[in-house]
Amino acid sequence: MIWLIIKEAWLSLSSHKLRSFLTTLGIIIGVSAVVMMVAAGQTVSLVINNSFASMGGNLLMIHPSFVVTSGIKSGQRPSITAADVEATKTLRGVEAAAPIVRATAQGVYGANNWAVSIRGTTPDLITVNKWEIERGEPFTEKDVKSASPYVLIGSTTANELFGFADPVGQTIRIKNVPFKVVGLLASKGQDLMGNDQDDVILMPYTTVRQRIQGSRIPDRVHFGYIKVADDEDLEAAANRVKMLLRSRHNIKEGHDDDFEVMNMTAMVNTIKTVGLVLSILLAAIASISLIVGSIGIMNMMLVSVTERTREIGIRKALGAENRWIMLQFLTESIMISFMGSILGLFIGITTSQIVGYIMEYKVPISIWPIILSFSVAVIVGVLSGIIPAYKAMKLDPIEALRYQ
Amino acid sequence: MGNVIDISRLYKSYFMDGGLEQKVLKDVNFSVQKGEFVAIMGPSGSGKSTLMNILGCLDRPTEGSYVLDGKEVSGLNDNQLAAVRNSKIGFVFQNFNLLMRRSIADNVSLPLIYAGKNDAYRRERAMVYIRKMNLDGYEDRMPNQLSGGMQQRVAIARALVNEPQIIFADEPTGNLDSKTSDEIMTLFTELNKDGKTIVLVTHEPDVAMYADRLIRISDGQKEYDGSVRAYMERTS
Repeated sequence: MIWLIIKEAWLSLSSHKLRSFLTTLGIIIGVSAVVMMVAAGQTVSLVINNSFASMGGNLLMIHPSFVVTSGIKSGQRPSITAADVEATKTLRGVEAAAPIVRATAQGVYGANNWAVSIRGTTPDLITVNKWEIERGEPFTEKDVKSASPYVLIGSTTANELFGFADPVGQTIRIKNVPFKVVGLLASKGQDLMGNDQDDVILMPYTTVRQRIQGSRIPDRVHFGYIKVADDEDLEAAANRVKMLLRSRHNIKEGHDDDFEVMNMTAMVNTIKTVGLVLSILLAAIASISLIVGSIGIMNMMLVSVTERTREIGIRKALGAENRWIMLQFLTESIMISFMGSILGLFIGITTSQIVGYIMEYKVPISIWPIILSFSVAVIVGVLSGIIPAYKAMKLDPIEALRYQ
Repeated sequence: MGNVIDISRLYKSYFMDGGLEQKVLKDVNFSVQKGEFVAIMGPSGSGKSTLMNILGCLDRPTEGSYVLDGKEVSGLNDNQLAAVRNSKIGFVFQNFNLLMRRSIADNVSLPLIYAGKNDAYRRERAMVYIRKMNLDGYEDRMPNQLSGGMQQRVAIARALVNEPQIIFADEPTGNLDSKTSDEIMTLFTELNKDGKTIVLVTHEPDVAMYADRLIRISDGQKEYDGSVRAYMERTS
């Protein structure tokens, strides 16, 4: 009986191939749009979560405040020192702190030449930024004190300079100064802004200041990371850091700070929320196309009922009970939305995987869009079929037979 | 009891928008015995179509009794009437009323779907009547590939397929030329000889002549009930 109804519905739909296809297309577009948008949203969340994890949690950042002259941001006053960063470690709740000095210089190994992005820091950065060392050993506090020419190398930089050879133990030249690679960092991938975190070289900040920059003030740093214990309140810790730095910088009551304390975790959470809102918004917009698609089905079914008035009359005259007529039309609309959902699901998943592959993001395939689109198929099919089916059922056989 | 149709004191009224009652059938009484071939005639507006709709269980009388094959059907609901139409009545219409996008075999077996029969049985029964109507080889064609006379034979096969008690033919030759009309009417005569009860509505005396008995409706009432031949001789 069920099989017979499905067969009848298929015959009716296939006798108007173009119309059935166009109506199905509405659902295909709707479902694939929802699937793609959900995939996009999930990918964004995944990227945010991964970079958050790779940055290290519960993080504060201190950097010199911007100098504003006549309303124009004109640069930073170099106010933060490595000693400032080191001093925060005495505060309650601070687990580790690492200063950062940035530099870019040409790195050379044999015939290979690569513009390396250098981070001068202390071994604390390993903890703070959750670096892992794949091979070799990190440089030590002693190396920081003596400005030793020891470096840790990121995987991208290692690839560019060494190819497939093992960089550990090799010597590279930066600004003609030889540096010994003591360890290879495990890959972290992209950060929130899409920058490659593996294109990096870590070395003692003292080494950068003295051997690469040749600075007379070796203690000046660009900024510092402060890792706060996971069970500590980050805002309170930020305040303590602020108080400490104000007293260290001799800033008097009523005067502005010459530094800023940024709550990195709060920033990431904001980005996360924005990402979530964005993906909900995308899914909502996509589901509008699903609604439009289901209106398309209803429209087609209404036209079909009018067009097939005589057929309905014939079927009724030959003994079709009301439920038969109702089921026949409902099955047609469910069939359309069902086929549309399957195709839409397939197209949506395929497209998002292809786009993910091209853009080098891992796009998750989750069970939710699948469950969602199948329930939507049934709901949309029933909802958009019920009015036309009821209309067909209510037709008077005498009137219907007379219809031209 | 040999009566297939028993109607007594049958009334049918339509109510206009203003609540005005229009009596279309007024106190119609007659019986049709098993194996009879009856023609119903009458001018347009006489109520003969309404009578046909009620007899065909497509409509209900306002008042009165209609016993079809021993069962009172005047008080049945839509679905019960559908079941009666399916099992006891075969329809042949003026414009054939075939499903245009279905094969001949599908069209002929259509009533068996609603009788709940399976695919193989439907196909087999359809083929029996397709052969009987001399349509062998056409079972997988579409209706629009067939001539009018052939389409009407398909419709007759469809009317017979569920082996109903009675065949209702509503102007079955109205869309056919005179030669094809004769063929179709001869077919009805043969079916009647095989024992089928046939009720025919027509306005053509030539067609009515194929029947044995004539019921003439005029102004909502039975005006004549008797031999076709006797009526034709009286009027000519």
